[in-house]
Amino acid sequence: MKSLGIFFLTFLFLFGLLTLPGGEVMAQTKEIIMGAALPITGGQSREGGYFKKAYELAVKEINDGGGILVKGYGKKIPIKLIIYDDKSDNTTSVQLYEKLVTEDKVHVLLGGYGTPLITAHTVVAEKYRVPYVNGGGATGAIYQRGMKYIFCILSSVEKLAHTLMDWMALEQDAGKLKKPVRIALMGENTSHGKEFRQGVLDRIKAAPARFQVVMDEPFEMNLKDADPLLQKVKAAKAEVYLADARLADYTTMHRRYTEMRLYHLVVSYGPRGGEKAARDALGTASDYIISCNWWHKDIPTAAAKTFADKYAKTYNEPAEWFPATAYETVRVMVKAIEDAGSLDKAKIRDALAKMDMKNSLVVGGRVWFKPNGQIDNDYVMMQNLPGGKVALIYPKEVATAKAIVPIPQK
Amino acid sequence: MTIDLPALLVSATLLAGLYATMSYGLALIYGVMKIVNLAHAGVMMWGAYVAFVFIVNLGANPFLAPLFIVPIFFVFGMLLQRYIVRRVMFAPPISSLLLLFGMWLIMQNISYLLFSGDTRAITTKYTLMTFQAGGISISINRLVVFFVGILALVVLRQFLGRTYMGKAIRATSQDGDASKLVGINTDRVMEIAFGMGIALASLAGSLMALIFAFDPDFGRSHLLKGFCIVVLGGLESVVGVALGSLVLAIAEALSVLWIMPAMQDFVSFALLVIVLVAMPGGMAGLVGKFKRN
Repeated sequence: MKSLGIFFLTFLFLFGLLTLPGGEVMAQTKEIIMGAALPITGGQSREGGYFKKAYELAVKEINDGGGILVKGYGKKIPIKLIIYDDKSDNTTSVQLYEKLVTEDKVHVLLGGYGTPLITAHTVVAEKYRVPYVNGGGATGAIYQRGMKYIFCILSSVEKLAHTLMDWMALEQDAGKLKKPVRIALMGENTSHGKEFRQGVLDRIKAAPARFQVVMDEPFEMNLKDADPLLQKVKAAKAEVYLADARLADYTTMHRRYTEMRLYHLVVSYGPRGGEKAARDALGTASDYIISCNWWHKDIPTAAAKTFADKYAKTYNEPAEWFPATAYETVRVMVKAIEDAGSLDKAKIRDALAKMDMKNSLVVGGRVWFKPNGQIDNDYVMMQNLPGGKVALIYPKEVATAKAIVPIPQK
Repeated sequence: MTIDLPALLVSATLLAGLYATMSYGLALIYGVMKIVNLAHAGVMMWGAYVAFVFIVNLGANPFLAPLFIVPIFFVFGMLLQRYIVRRVMFAPPISSLLLLFGMWLIMQNISYLLFSGDTRAITTKYTLMTFQAGGISISINRLVVFFVGILALVVLRQFLGRTYMGKAIRATSQDGDASKLVGINTDRVMEIAFGMGIALASLAGSLMALIFAFDPDFGRSHLLKGFCIVVLGGLESVVGVALGSLVLAIAEALSVLWIMPAMQDFVSFALLVIVLVAMPGGMAGLVGKFKRN
């Protein structure tokens, strides 16, 4: 009877240890599972490939150091990275994130690439309350859905537009652009393009003495004929030409812009400009185009340079912004786990919300999130120069040259 | 805001040449075989990539490259018809639609495999080259594409009107059984017609690659435009296709005077619906009616 009682008490004690809060401390966790579904094939395969390489590079680095130090376990735990191919398809992406959560039992999720895919699959992370960080979907609308578990280290497209306009204001104050300046504005008919146009219009409205909009038009992607649109640009007699377009449309539009011998003091296609494919396609026509981006390999900070060198050495290709933000996504998640001291998803989520990571490779060097989960750092602005070169022109802390404004007329 | 109307109309006319070139193949295949070639977009895309290989990798002259590309795709088209499409010729229409749609997806995936999803563009010494005519800046590339469109129309008209095979194609499209009765090898005719349709699509793709950037998804929106043009022009008439291209290109260009450029595609599809309801024979049918009256 006495031995039965001791057995029963021992059983209760062990049961309590395993099931009560803090029971995880005693459970053996051999690895921290991070999962992502990336467009390895399909229309976004180029970007997806960069993300995969960067995730693998970051995880390898951390595992080479023993893994992530999780205070609650009193030790470093290595990462197991699971990457699936969503084939650039929304439905597949959602299914794979479900799989990562329900079958692979990931602790945390890393983001994919591209606004449509991210808009779709973030619902899964939020539904299952799994912390999710991405460096591939900047459209602000993604983060205005009241989600608590979704974080992004890319500033919004609206911020891109604001950065561009704030830079123009500085150029006006330096006497290189007139006041007010007349702007022809266009954007693809997507959330990305609408956000860009709205961001520009916000600044125009706030500073009518500086900016006037003389044309504001959306256009459908995959332009077959840019002429009617550009005829409107020509008729608007603007001094500044701002457009938000994908690579293919940017190439089509700017070729036609050049053939029509249009000229503006400042030309920008938002984040497009310095891509090799575009510079090859446009040749000297791409010179002096201004662009805004989330990162550039020439940013003169130790963190940016270290990553650029590491990536180039590992993969024998220069680092573009895609792998940079993907790499930093992993580092941010690692820091969140370290700060949480636990693999409890709610605690990791809280750690992300309170994140203040310094010495980051992002512009400004600091990662912190607004209440909606998106970062709000400045963009780096670049200008294409003749000979295939690129100069960083803004912000002042990262600039490598002064912008050439107005664009020299040919 | 005063739009330069003459420049707009010139640009639209040049674009019509491109539209026509990309639609002839669709019209020919439908006219003879009564099947809608959904693989047309895939062939245009492959035409663009083959042009890329010839011009960028092998250094061929961009305007001569189609001379090599077209025969290759003609043979490809004939083989495709003989060994695959012929098997569904007399099945319900859905079978050929699905088959050719499947072919398109296969072609896309092969392109992703070989070329990745990167956007490509062909840059030659003629890219961005223009000349001024009456104050209007005209692109050399677009002018060449326009003239190729005219040339293709003339050659097709001559071929269909004056050669034995051309007449056999027209006879088969009018009545396949009667054609057999008079000794026409209709299987051979369909092979050749399909081959020509594929060759024309590849010609369009190789020329479009000089103007547009492209990736494995290239051609999708052009295919939809092609349907509109073929319906507008009259489903089986190459002259109708040329006229339909001109009407559509001008309508789209002028529409921006009143509506947003983002709505341009709406113009194409609105015209498609109107023509299907009010003028099922398209412009060719309308012209035919006038002649009879």
